[in-house]
Amino acid sequence: MQWLAPMTAIYAAAAAVPLLVLLYFLKLKRRDQIISSTFLWRRAVQDLQVNAPFQRIRWSVLLLLQLLALAAILLALAQPVWLSSGGTAKRYVLLIDRSASMNATESGRSRLDTAKDQARTVVDSLRAGGLLSLRNEADRAMVVAFDTHPHVMCNFTSDKRQLKAAIEAIRPSDGRSCLSEAITVSCAFAQTSAEQADTVSMGPPAQVELFSDGRITDLEKIVAAPVELNYHCVGSQADNVAVVSLQARRSYERSEEVSVFAGLVNYGQDEADCDLQLSVDGNVRAVRPVSVPPASADGKPGSVSASYSLTHATSGVIELRQLRDDCLESDNAAWAILPPPKKLKVLLVTRGNLAVVPALRACPLERLDIKTPAEFEEMDHAAMSVEPHYDLIVLDNFVPSVLPKSRYLVFGRIPPSIGVSVTGDLTNQMIADWKSRHLVLRHVDLQNLFASRCRCMKLPRDAEILSESKDSPVMAIVRRDGSVFLLVSFDPMDTNWPFEPGFVMFCQNATAFLGMDAAQDSRSHRSVGQAIYIEGLPPAADATVHAPGGPSINTKCDAQGTLRYPDTARAGVYTVELGGDRAEHFAVNLLDAQESRIEPTSQITFSGKTIQAESSPPGPSNVELWPYLVALALALACVEWFVYNSKARL
Amino acid sequence: MTPQTPRTSKGSLRELLDEKFMSKLDGLDLLSRKILQGKLQGERRSKRRGTSAEFADHRPYVVGDDLRFIDWNIYGRLEQLFLKLFLEEQDLTLHVVLDVSGSMQSGDPPKDLFAKKLAAALAYVGLVNNNRVTLTAVADGIVAQLSNMRGRKYLPKLAGLLTTKAQGPSDFDNASRQLVSEWTATGVIVVISDFLLKEGFQEGLRRFVGKRSEVYAIQLLSPQEMSPELTGDLKLVDVEDDDTAEVTISRALLDYYKRNLNAYCNEVKDFCRRRGIVYALVDSGQSAENLVLTYLRTAGMLG
Repeated sequence: MQWLAPMTAIYAAAAAVPLLVLLYFLKLKRRDQIISSTFLWRRAVQDLQVNAPFQRIRWSVLLLLQLLALAAILLALAQPVWLSSGGTAKRYVLLIDRSASMNATESGRSRLDTAKDQARTVVDSLRAGGLLSLRNEADRAMVVAFDTHPHVMCNFTSDKRQLKAAIEAIRPSDGRSCLSEAITVSCAFAQTSAEQADTVSMGPPAQVELFSDGRITDLEKIVAAPVELNYHCVGSQADNVAVVSLQARRSYERSEEVSVFAGLVNYGQDEADCDLQLSVDGNVRAVRPVSVPPASADGKPGSVSASYSLTHATSGVIELRQLRDDCLESDNAAWAILPPPKKLKVLLVTRGNLAVVPALRACPLERLDIKTPAEFEEMDHAAMSVEPHYDLIVLDNFVPSVLPKSRYLVFGRIPPSIGVSVTGDLTNQMIADWKSRHLVLRHVDLQNLFASRCRCMKLPRDAEILSESKDSPVMAIVRRDGSVFLLVSFDPMDTNWPFEPGFVMFCQNATAFLGMDAAQDSRSHRSVGQAIYIEGLPPAADATVHAPGGPSINTKCDAQGTLRYPDTARAGVYTVELGGDRAEHFAVNLLDAQESRIEPTSQITFSGKTIQAESSPPGPSNVELWPYLVALALALACVEWFVYNSKARL
Repeated sequence: MTPQTPRTSKGSLRELLDEKFMSKLDGLDLLSRKILQGKLQGERRSKRRGTSAEFADHRPYVVGDDLRFIDWNIYGRLEQLFLKLFLEEQDLTLHVVLDVSGSMQSGDPPKDLFAKKLAAALAYVGLVNNNRVTLTAVADGIVAQLSNMRGRKYLPKLAGLLTTKAQGPSDFDNASRQLVSEWTATGVIVVISDFLLKEGFQEGLRRFVGKRSEVYAIQLLSPQEMSPELTGDLKLVDVEDDDTAEVTISRALLDYYKRNLNAYCNEVKDFCRRRGIVYALVDSGQSAENLVLTYLRTAGMLG
């Protein structure tokens, strides 16, 4: 048995039962009246009672009260609904944006809380199925919270309590707003089995209620979604000063010197004066006043950059925080993990390369060992996997039989065992596009790079493409089995690249990225929503993850010795304790100019159509009146009991 | 209850009968529709043959009779001596039975005030005309009594009895039994009461009728009893026996009460009519003088 409204019954009983008991004991006070004799009055009362049933109905307060109480109960049984929206039962998908911009607080409440309140109002307005009706025509709804990825909080149901609990369970996140995947998931859930079987015509499409501030990054990707969308715009503030970039790097020449670069933007209409505070391991190292210019008329934010130089000989956690109060707290700070100073030990496996060897020698390495392929094959690869002697192995047109776990810079021939397939050779390739902001390609100009011959790579889905020609990716990063591979699909000697200064810069960046920052860079900066993983741990080893502002979570490594922690919804420093004294820190940052732009949009483009935000928040509708009618019937019954007790008794 | 001789109260009769009323009463006398036997030589026509001026019959002369009463007309005719016989004038015994039970104190003005005025007026008329007057206050029995009063000298005592407070339960049957056992002479019996008797009035009145006296029953009701102006939720308390009745006054209830009251009064009236009792229903809100000077004269009780 399920009680839909047990508290209502308890409250009603707490009010009604004592009242009835009180009325039972309550005796109406009568005024004493001394008269000469009562025997004529007694006769009169008897006559009145005897003759009343045979007379026509006369006005009686009791009868009126009983009729009113009965009418209230009958109306309650009919389950009237106020402000009812007619038609067949509908299905609703409540999409609630929980991205970083929804954490902006206005009037003491976050936009997410406001969106949840509006969603609860919609849930309250769902039509319930009639208890006594022959057909169950209740409206149904599902709740989906989304940021970078959607999270189905509750599947289609007409249970309002379940829906409200699902809404309440939505936690804020610092991720980006991505709606396309949420729409895809919603459409998948909204499909009925009949539609899938294509045996009957489709039912009405689900009504999507989107609660967001409109700062959604992938609206243009949503094409021809088979749903109707109502957009409820949440929020009004636009002013925000955010940290949108942070980098902390050790100098190659003097590793104890650290350079910190930060970028701030201002979306307000006025210049923002704020203090920028730099801390290392919680100790404030510098506070600098910064003036961020206002946003321009076309909406482009005002920006300013700041740089710091400090000396820090050990590893540490760098925090950069702007101290000005604004709506969105999540983007006021950024973190970076500072690796310990270190120079790389690099192994170059080559038969001789006039371009690669000098370029590597120009890098500030601790040691550069050059071996031939035969010599490499003779090395103890198993030992190399367990205790790497080299931070980086450069393979020059060589595919070893065994690839020990390490980080690789591969030129030319691609190892086949890493999930990359080579479908053929390409000739006369120019670089069409490259990620100039990537750490590997920073200050590297590939515009003039011409490869007379390169390999056509087919990369796995999780590969990160750094540059590509018109026919194939040219450079990519692949991670496999604890190893990291920076693939270059051509031999530099088959290109004009060695004659470009960018080649040396590329080698320096690549060695720094792979050798020093590859492992740490994932710690140095991860975006919100990116999973934390640590490889090379003992299988099934225990670990404890301390999330920022949240509880500690105990977890275990998998059988391959990889620890994966996906719940990085909030920005901050995550600490993973691996047993003993070993602990690793991971910086998860927002650093998203799109999310830091918190100005709500009154219209969005969805499925090729421009949709205006609803002019007002959703109001109550489909208000069930039967609880009020039952309460009214109860009150009338109490009044009737009171009046009855006041009548004459014989 | 042992009858008590009431203490005298000088001047209290004037509280009930003012000078003007008394002067009117002086011109009235009790009348009787029947020839009733009195005890003393009064001013009433009696069935007894006596020495009054009114011729009644003849009888033969015997030695020793008074020669003044020889009817010489008959001797002239029959040459025999016969004596004239005359009706003897006897006094009229007036019994006034005054109900002083608790129910008589109700009303505004109280019914007992009217009743006492009426009793005082009737007793006054009787006394000033040398009639024998017995005034008895009854409730559940004889409460107080002044017997065989004759002449004006009993007026103060009369006033004293009329100060008896109306209180207590009523038992008309017991009171009438006591009264009837005491009365020896027939006369006029006037019962002044509201006759709101739970135990019934029939036996009491029937006893009075059995004395072969001329009985008058004056039922006294207050305006509040005739047309109650009660409202709301009440607990009615009987003044005599503390009986209670919880009622909610409504128009229908009042209608039924009046109907029952009328029926009861008609019942008393019919009972009296069938037994030759002169019945009068009086509103105590009216003037006692009007009742005495108009209605009782019309009814033939006073003249």
